[in-house]
Amino acid sequence: MGPPRHTTGVRPPAEAIASLAGIVAAIAFVILIGVEAALIYAAWRFRASRAAGAPAQVYGHTRLEILWTAAPLGVLAVVFVLMLGTMSEIGASVPANGPAALRIGVIGHQWWWEYRYPHDGGEVVGANELHIPVATPVDLELRSADVIHSFWVPELGGKIDMIPGRANVLRLYASHAGVYAGQCAEFCGVEHAWMRITVVAQPADAFQRWLAAEAAPRATPTGAAADGERIFATEVCASCHAVRGTAAAGPVGPDLTHVGSRLTLGAGVLRNDDAAMRAWIGDPQTIKPGALMPQVPLSSAELDALTTYLRSLR
Amino acid sequence: MTAAVTPFVRRAAEMTATSWLRTVDHKQIGVLYIGMGLAFLLIGGIESLVMRAQLATPEARLVDPQLYDQLFTMHGITMIFLAAIPLLVGFANYIVPLMIGARDVAFPRLNALSFWLSLFGGLLLYFSIVAGGAPDAGWFAYAPLSDRPYATGTGLDYYVLGLAVNGVGTIAGAINLAVTILLLRCPGLSISRLPLLVWMTLVTSFLILGAYPALTAGLVMLMGDRLLGAHFFTAATGGEPLLWQHVFWFFGHPEVYIVILPAFGMISEIIPVFSGKPIFGYRFVAGSSVAIAFLSFSVWAHHMFAVGLSAGEDVFFSAASMLIAVPTGVKIFNWLATMMGGRLRFVTAMLFAVGFIAVFVVGGLTGVSLAIVPLDWAVTDSYYVVAHMHYVLFGGVVFGVFAGSYYWFPKITGRFLSERLGRWHFWLSFVGFNLTFLPQHWLGIQGMARRMWTYAADTGWGPLNLLSSIGAAILAVSVLVFAWNVVASLRAGALAGDDPWDAWTLEWATSSPPPHDNVESIPKVTSKRPLWDRKHPELKDPS
Repeated sequence: MGPPRHTTGVRPPAEAIASLAGIVAAIAFVILIGVEAALIYAAWRFRASRAAGAPAQVYGHTRLEILWTAAPLGVLAVVFVLMLGTMSEIGASVPANGPAALRIGVIGHQWWWEYRYPHDGGEVVGANELHIPVATPVDLELRSADVIHSFWVPELGGKIDMIPGRANVLRLYASHAGVYAGQCAEFCGVEHAWMRITVVAQPADAFQRWLAAEAAPRATPTGAAADGERIFATEVCASCHAVRGTAAAGPVGPDLTHVGSRLTLGAGVLRNDDAAMRAWIGDPQTIKPGALMPQVPLSSAELDALTTYLRSLR
Repeated sequence: MTAAVTPFVRRAAEMTATSWLRTVDHKQIGVLYIGMGLAFLLIGGIESLVMRAQLATPEARLVDPQLYDQLFTMHGITMIFLAAIPLLVGFANYIVPLMIGARDVAFPRLNALSFWLSLFGGLLLYFSIVAGGAPDAGWFAYAPLSDRPYATGTGLDYYVLGLAVNGVGTIAGAINLAVTILLLRCPGLSISRLPLLVWMTLVTSFLILGAYPALTAGLVMLMGDRLLGAHFFTAATGGEPLLWQHVFWFFGHPEVYIVILPAFGMISEIIPVFSGKPIFGYRFVAGSSVAIAFLSFSVWAHHMFAVGLSAGEDVFFSAASMLIAVPTGVKIFNWLATMMGGRLRFVTAMLFAVGFIAVFVVGGLTGVSLAIVPLDWAVTDSYYVVAHMHYVLFGGVVFGVFAGSYYWFPKITGRFLSERLGRWHFWLSFVGFNLTFLPQHWLGIQGMARRMWTYAADTGWGPLNLLSSIGAAILAVSVLVFAWNVVASLRAGALAGDDPWDAWTLEWATSSPPPHDNVESIPKVTSKRPLWDRKHPELKDPS
């Protein structure tokens, strides 16, 4: 947890939730200790070996009943009001003196993430690694391409489901630069577990540089990478994946225009390096059983060339 | 003009293999239900042990994800529909007619039909494994994942059919118990004198009648989508995926109270008897159940705070869900007040009843936290929810059933369960349970989503998961101790006699096990504790 306030004076959603959770946990803990202590006291004090004679037959006590109905009602009323405050804080519009909210489209797929950034009046498409500027409210517009998913990065905010036919909005705010981990939270089929989220929060200027690079088509490959691009185009790869700047425009799988620069592969199943890339292309079904990417029969030389090509897509 | 009416003549008591198939006796049917519940409790338990073994270490490959998805789906369905409900209905079937001084339930043949439908629904669900794969979309089978084209096998078809058949049996059973309680009470047993187990059974029966039809309707819609090309839940063709969630949880949340209220009833019988005092605040314990029942139909969307409802809907369902904590708290305070000033006999039944309170409080408090919308956004669909629901359903329902088992086993069989094994059973359960589920709260807060077949080593979730799996192994041992206790005590348990616990309700006035017609002559009741009055004529209960 970083310092709770930023320049705009509005707390990030995760901070607001954490502070409400702290209050609720404190109240709950007091109640828990009280009830457990009463239970242990009764069990110890009134055990048969200690009790003398037959117990008095007590049938009830109306005023006590009213007390232990009213007292919890009072506590819940307080919690309810605190909750309303937190909800309006999280739902608050962008503060006038701060940067306007950046709106990024997110589409959940079985089992990867598609990100669409506004850029130059159009959109830049990325996959499996969300970049956001720090100290800027970010509104994610969440949709689904197939079944219900749920977008959850615990350190940055709550979670909201991604539901076919709807668009939900989730406000994120990163106070500090860094890499934040998350996870699809709604069971969405076989590889729900390996539908991890990676969020890279970076200073605003670094984010703009990254976005400009991401918007560019792929760098023209040379040498072995050029061989790899030919294999990519002639094998089944291009029917699912797009690489901007080439004829490959498959809309089914993640856009690979800059896959070489990403931190992970397969929505978080592997750390991205040469060996991981080769292993992933060679046998995705062993690494992520049930993933929709098929195993393509390739020679060792073809695998090497494809690996070199994809790793060169920075 | 009047057709000849042949009275339904019941066969004399007999205990042959085929009598178990042909019986319409509420006691035999009760035992059949309990046997079914225990068998499926073992099966569902084994499923959970495989899952805990898989999750004990990160990136394990003990099972593949396809199998894991079937395991957690079947575990949920089995424990709710095929273990909890049959166990609770079984005890109600056996005990309630005895408690109200009736010779049987109102509709004995319907009772048999209910049981066999419930069982065959369960068998149909498990037949899916042979037919090509068990359902694998979770016990609440969210559309469109449960719909075509995402679930292409036959597993979800068996889910629809099995639950529908099972549900018809449950509905028929609820009608039977409600009519029995309303019409077959012995003279003097007014509604305001009903034992609390009977009260809770009555409330539960009406909850079933309100909730199960919604499930059946949802299942019919899903079947329409899957088999007839309807589009109830497919967004692309004008359907609405959230419709399934609304319909399912309109059933699903009352279902939680359908399984917990009978357990509350058991606890409300057991704690007074072993405290030597009447239940504290009888009217409030009974009345709070009615409050819970009404509220339970207006809280379903707290399962849906993350789907993007309007703020108004979120706030309404949050308030209603928080309110349910009030009548639940009233029960806990009254149980505590019953113990205070009593003379507590810590037999195993009482140990489980006190253990029930100790862990149920945790589940109740985490339940309130999930009713608070922003906190729900943080931890819903995570292991925090898994921990919460097991504190309520295992710590609540299963501990309640264990308490009831030790309490009524002597009535049903004529023999005590072993107290020595019972103590082992309780302490292993208590330690194993908390070790399994307490760490899961932190896993959820740290970001572990539920229903993950594995998790990456770099998440750091390994140690807490290992702890949880060790707890599950201890729980497994405790269940083995219980199973051994049942088998050994059936053969050679100490003889119990009619009233082994010095209790007060009418089932203890007849022999153990009771004769076929339950009682020689229908008793007459003048207070809530008929046997207390008989034993303490100088200190009779106020009528």
